[in-house]
Amino acid sequence: MFWKYILKRLIYGLLIYAVLIFIFSSLFNTVMEQTLRGQIEEEIRAEIMSLDSLNAQQTQSFIENRRADKYSQYRLDKPIFERVIWRTWSTLTLNLGRSSSIRSSAGDRSVWAIVSEKIPRTLLLFSTAMFVDIIIGIWLGLKKAQKAGGVLDRSTSVGTMVVFGMPSWWLGMILIMFFAYTIKIFPSGGLHTTPPPEGIANFFDLIYHLALPVLTLVVLGFWGRAFLTRNIVLGILQEDYIMAARARGIPERKVLYGHTMRTAAPPIVTMSLLALLASVSGNIVFEGIFNWPGMGNLFWFALQQNDVPVLMGNLAVTTALYIGGLVLLDLVYGLLDPRIKVGGRA
Amino acid sequence: MSWNDMKASTKDFWSEFRKVKSGIVGLIFLGVFLFILIFEPLLLPFSEANTRWKDITYWEDNPASAAPQWTNLFTSKKRAVSEDLEISEIEEKKVGTIRIIEESFIYNYEYDVAPADLVFRASGTGSATFIISIERPDGKTIDLFRKPLELPADRTLRIAIDRSSKNEALNFLKSFNAMDGVTAQTVRTTDVIFSQVEKSLSFKPEPLKGEYRIKVSMILQKEADTITSTGMKIAGRVHGILGTDNSKRDIWSGVLAGVKWAMLIGLMTALISVSIGVIYGVMSAYLGGWKDSLMQRIFEIFISVPLLPVLIVMSAVFKPSIWVIIFIMSIFYWVGPVKTVRSMGLQIKEETYIEASRALGASNARIIFKHMVPLLIPYAFASMALYVPGAIVVEATLSLLGLGDPNIVTWGQILQDAHRGGAMLSGMWWWVVPPGMAIAFMGMTFAFVGFAMDKILNPKLKTR
Repeated sequence: MFWKYILKRLIYGLLIYAVLIFIFSSLFNTVMEQTLRGQIEEEIRAEIMSLDSLNAQQTQSFIENRRADKYSQYRLDKPIFERVIWRTWSTLTLNLGRSSSIRSSAGDRSVWAIVSEKIPRTLLLFSTAMFVDIIIGIWLGLKKAQKAGGVLDRSTSVGTMVVFGMPSWWLGMILIMFFAYTIKIFPSGGLHTTPPPEGIANFFDLIYHLALPVLTLVVLGFWGRAFLTRNIVLGILQEDYIMAARARGIPERKVLYGHTMRTAAPPIVTMSLLALLASVSGNIVFEGIFNWPGMGNLFWFALQQNDVPVLMGNLAVTTALYIGGLVLLDLVYGLLDPRIKVGGRA
Repeated sequence: MSWNDMKASTKDFWSEFRKVKSGIVGLIFLGVFLFILIFEPLLLPFSEANTRWKDITYWEDNPASAAPQWTNLFTSKKRAVSEDLEISEIEEKKVGTIRIIEESFIYNYEYDVAPADLVFRASGTGSATFIISIERPDGKTIDLFRKPLELPADRTLRIAIDRSSKNEALNFLKSFNAMDGVTAQTVRTTDVIFSQVEKSLSFKPEPLKGEYRIKVSMILQKEADTITSTGMKIAGRVHGILGTDNSKRDIWSGVLAGVKWAMLIGLMTALISVSIGVIYGVMSAYLGGWKDSLMQRIFEIFISVPLLPVLIVMSAVFKPSIWVIIFIMSIFYWVGPVKTVRSMGLQIKEETYIEASRALGASNARIIFKHMVPLLIPYAFASMALYVPGAIVVEATLSLLGLGDPNIVTWGQILQDAHRGGAMLSGMWWWVVPPGMAIAFMGMTFAFVGFAMDKILNPKLKTR
């Protein structure tokens, strides 16, 4: 009954998302309403500008009418609990409101349009990095587990600890300083050169711009991945059936890749996906250093512009992606590990 | 667990820990950080760096954007170093009611690039006429300054030669007819003072090395006029251990002052969140039934929160102080150890002595805190050590976005200034590398200790 498990997990994920959005809505209610009131005043002022031939009294009553209209449209005249519920609902239905100054590349001021165009760029950057990272990490991890306690194992374990508390954006700053300004072999940031080249050159230009941020993430990331792989594989290598396989005279290579990796794959894959999620949410600021126009950079930009609706909308979408990732992770794990399918529990 | 048990198990743990080399290295680094923390007032070259970090008047005698002093070792052209000059001679004359104080400072200039500025400071009351001149090794004298000035009551009087004496320097060149290749806009006062001048040749800043004597005469007219203290500073082209940033702040002072904040943020967050997490996990395991289910659902909500984005938005909206930031981080960090602790708790719960104490009528709280939590203390310490770096990085990240507490100096804030000040573009590595290195180093220290503890507590990770 795998589909039942899927359904259950999906609904549960949605529920958690709704709870979180409710918490955010009540937490940030005051500041959101302040900006909304500001926006309403601004709209009314614009309407008055377009109407002339009104005397002072007419203007006054016009303003009051319009204000009452708008307030009821945005539920600002309702009690606070209803306002929070309404805001939660509109966020859940991707009705994120309008930004106060930021525009999407098409000139749109809808927050959803602004945020949604950033999603693929963020995913591109972090999944590319994670892909390279996993390949190097698993390869190194296996090597480490094979000769646990050896020179390679010990020295790379030290590496893991050295980069443990290193901020990715700081390493990014250093690498930009060195590779983009001192010896100019990489661009200092951005998605494309301006103007962006056409056709196949466009693709290579993207790769060229992707190289340095990906390099930064990989240089910091693969140590941890290798260490984790090593620990998982080492645990499995101590199992009896591995000893039995070795006793049967099966070559070491086959024991490692056939027997060990088959058991080690599910935890390694889930751990890596979990790391990807943690990396997206934890390294979000990293995009700002490289001027990579993704969701992290949007946080940075919205902060500078003091654009509250964009900040909130971006948070809602980031949270949705994060929870979606967690759900996906459970599903993948269920797919890889038959024990979960049978039991029907995570 | 009695006191003696505790002592014995600590001793056991220590004898295991001693064998892990990286753990010992971590402890040594930790000792270094603690040393800096305790002796910070003695180590700080600028003692008020903590309270006046954002006060530009405190730093104005330093050169701006100067590289560290030791970079002179690697360059062929030696740049002048920042230093305080000592008074070599002091003389007081009295002519009628007028008093004249003459001070001279000796400066040994043995570099290839002239200093950025000469700064004279005096404090006192009333007013005085200040006459400053400099006698060069080639016997020529430049009159730099001559002006009657009021001595301000609340601060010291500051005369910066680079700004105030440009015309005098130009006049000096003019008197030798050496004005070719020099315009009033481009010439630097200090370049003229410390360079060779040839009659009727165009001016090139060739250094004139040797002993310079700077003479300061202060003429006091009235009885009430006094000069209480004076000082002369050279603002070099290279400065201190780690140089200065573009607003003349000493980076070494900033990095030192950041140590205690990083320690505080990391340790406080780790302590609070791991304590909550361990107690929560044990309670969830021990209570069982619907209470366990409810606690697990709450836990799942917390674990679904993307920490950093939420923190960014919260800090942007509420502008919290450092204590609130620590508090918010703890709210989200406690989920980390819960899962492991709960599974450990489920095992401990089945032990016979727990059953025995329950049969004796011990309360839930007593069993949890007296019998279960103490067994998890070693694990708690190991995970605490591994949580410290994360908390420090999160705070640094918030500071990088400009959301840090403005009343303190943290490494993240120095990096924010560096990023905004274009340190990467202008290659001011001494502004970018040290604070980040400090973050990484502190993280590494706790990682060394934490991994070593983890290795001892997790026998499965041991090598074959």
